Amino acid sequence: MDPLSAALKISGSGMEAEATRLRVVSENIANSRTTGDTPGADPYRRKTITFSNELDRASGAKMVNVKKIGVDKGNFIEEHDPSSPAADANGMVKLPNVNMLVEMADLREANRSYEANLQSIRQSRDLISATIDLLKG
Amino acid sequence: MQSIQLFELASKQAEWLSIRQQVVSTNIANANTPKFRAQDVTPFQSVLESSYTPMARTNAAHFAGDTLGGDKIEVKDEEVNNEIGVQESGNTVAVANELSKSGEIKRQYDLNTQLVKAFHNMMLTALGK
Repeated sequence: MDPLSAALKISGSGMEAEATRLRVVSENIANSRTTGDTPGADPYRRKTITFSNELDRASGAKMVNVKKIGVDKGNFIEEHDPSSPAADANGMVKLPNVNMLVEMADLREANRSYEANLQSIRQSRDLISATIDLLKG
Repeated sequence: MQSIQLFELASKQAEWLSIRQQVVSTNIANANTPKFRAQDVTPFQSVLESSYTPMARTNAAHFAGDTLGGDKIEVKDEEVNNEIGVQESGNTVAVANELSKSGEIKRQYDLNTQLVKAFHNMMLTALGK
């Protein structure tokens, strides 16, 4: 496979991986106050994502793929709110182990990486155009 | 035929630049992959220097060897950038470095295609077209 087309594919796989990461971050942010609905029930658990490097045998390119979407085993935050349906006998409610600051940092990083891949696609496309323009004479 | 030599050189450089673009894209795409080591291609200079003298052909049916460098465009692990070093995840990609390399590739590729275009026009002029 010619290197420029392979470069387009690789950047595409990078963008897909970063997009999945954005999805996971969005889920975490959206569910940052999702509690259980029975007394003492566990709330939403923060999700994590890991990437891995995979060799695409057809093109010999090193693509990126999502290795695993796991869960954060960190402790839940407890708050005193006796009126909540998830409050236990002592009036304590378990809240998700989502830290908004961490999620925002992750969001920014995923965004930057996505843009870098986009730039790389733009450039590969420009190089292909420059080659085709040779035919214009 | 000097100009033919130029076209061969230009196409070799375009090939090298394309492979480098692929390597840079791989690095950028894997900027967040744990344990990924940044890579780069061997410099164009050494690709040219690795050229060998082709064997004489005694029969037109014999294969002709490449006159300019063989398939010596190698991809190797890049030297670790001292400022960034190896990240906690075992990754060594410095995205800013990769983007500057990418700019360099663009500039060289543009120069390459412009030169080929100019020489092509000269040949057409020689033909009176």
